[in-house]
Amino acid sequence: MAVVDVHRFAESITCHAWSPDHSMVAFCPNNNEVHIYKSSQDQWERLHVLEKHDQIVSGIDWSSKSNKIVTVSHDRNSYVWSLEGGEWVPTLVILRLNRAALCVQWSPKENKFAVGSGAKTVCICYYEQENNWWVSKLIRKRHESSVTNVAWHPNNILLATTSTDGKCRVFSTFIKGVDTKDSKAGSPAESKFGEQIIQLDLSYSWAFGVKWSPSGNTLAYVGHSSMIYFVDDVGPSPLAQSVAFRDLPLRDVLFISEKMVIGVGYDSNPMVFAADDTGIWSFIRYIGEKKEVSSGSSYSSQFSEAFTKFYGQSKATTANEASESSKSRGGVHDNCINSIVPLSKAGSPKVMRFSTSGLDGKIAIWDLESMQEELGHQF
Amino acid sequence: MAGGGGGFVEAEAIIARIETKSTKIESLLKQYKPVEALKTALEGSPPKTLDERCKSANWIVVHRALMAIKDIEGMLNALDVEYYDILMKYLYRGLSTGDRPTCDQCLKIHEKLTERAGLGCILRCLSDTLNTV
Repeated sequence: MAVVDVHRFAESITCHAWSPDHSMVAFCPNNNEVHIYKSSQDQWERLHVLEKHDQIVSGIDWSSKSNKIVTVSHDRNSYVWSLEGGEWVPTLVILRLNRAALCVQWSPKENKFAVGSGAKTVCICYYEQENNWWVSKLIRKRHESSVTNVAWHPNNILLATTSTDGKCRVFSTFIKGVDTKDSKAGSPAESKFGEQIIQLDLSYSWAFGVKWSPSGNTLAYVGHSSMIYFVDDVGPSPLAQSVAFRDLPLRDVLFISEKMVIGVGYDSNPMVFAADDTGIWSFIRYIGEKKEVSSGSSYSSQFSEAFTKFYGQSKATTANEASESSKSRGGVHDNCINSIVPLSKAGSPKVMRFSTSGLDGKIAIWDLESMQEELGHQF
Repeated sequence: MAGGGGGFVEAEAIIARIETKSTKIESLLKQYKPVEALKTALEGSPPKTLDERCKSANWIVVHRALMAIKDIEGMLNALDVEYYDILMKYLYRGLSTGDRPTCDQCLKIHEKLTERAGLGCILRCLSDTLNTV
């Protein structure tokens, strides 16, 4: 299997992020704190507990160049933490939100970060040198419901968002004085802050987990209806594909190469999707093995019992035998995986290692080195 | 979404189409071709309308074809993958009627369809509140 390390840190993990050298991990154990653990000689020891938020910390991101941690919480606040003399010192960022903050991500140049919120707005925060504080600029228009995920394009200006209104949108977050106008990129109209570049209406249900491919040419996001959407050539004439798959919905995705995506979600097992040479995306396989139940169907005993009851109502039908004794699905995670984080150098075209965290409180580290042959030439 | 006078005419057109489908299905059933009948019934479903009468009319046609199916495995073998999601929606409509024979048949088909299409099929049926049947 591709799993290198698994450790159960807490009852449940909301989100996690890695330090620049990947030796420390920061996560929220489903409460208002952020725990930082360091790995040394196969042991994990807790170094810091960051306690400033009043409610659950819904998003954490750790910048790799400036070594700052940004946290956002349901208490509508955000803190940027800097390491000073061995201690993490928080700086409050006034987001001007009246609902919970749901997700956060540093921009590729780490001079801005984006926050998605339940207030149907996205906050773009940047550092103002003169006043020595972080300023928040809001994108108020367009979203009809909570913004669940945000993702930065490699050019540091375009931002993709997914929302519970089912749509994925791309905005320009150009800020005068922070961003420099690239004479090659786009027309002046696109460079206006908060300008919507494109809106993708592919999903009928909630949308989650948006990510850009390493080159920024392709977007991938998931819908709650067990669908994953791929959009190539994001721009005036995009090529959209909807891929329906067998199992439970996904929550997050990660591009491990230009043509390969890993999705994680309620099935507790990462799924691999790839584009073939003609550009058609499809489901390839699961990363881990899926344990087969002896009765022939691939569901665990919990499902078998439920189906037995369901089908047993019909007098003519023969019920599925609930055979398996163990409750676990035989994989690494026992419960929904809600976050997947790359463990490679930022901006590199291929991701060899990544980590997943979920509701079971485990963080698993996966290494694809041994699986390169199996994954094929798209990787 | 179905606007004013134009919407009313549209509904009539859809019902007319469903009626044509119905006659075709009756003839197929007389020829002991229940699988063909179901395929015909599912084609063009759900009718792109918010009108409940159209949906009910289509349901009656699909129901007729569903109840005639005896060999479920064979039927699913012959059905294209793209019809799985729409068949699942009609199965749930059938289950919601509470009528004993309908529910029995729908449960039998549901079991086999879930084995083939997976839980994702059920998810797509439940989460799509726009294109209901």
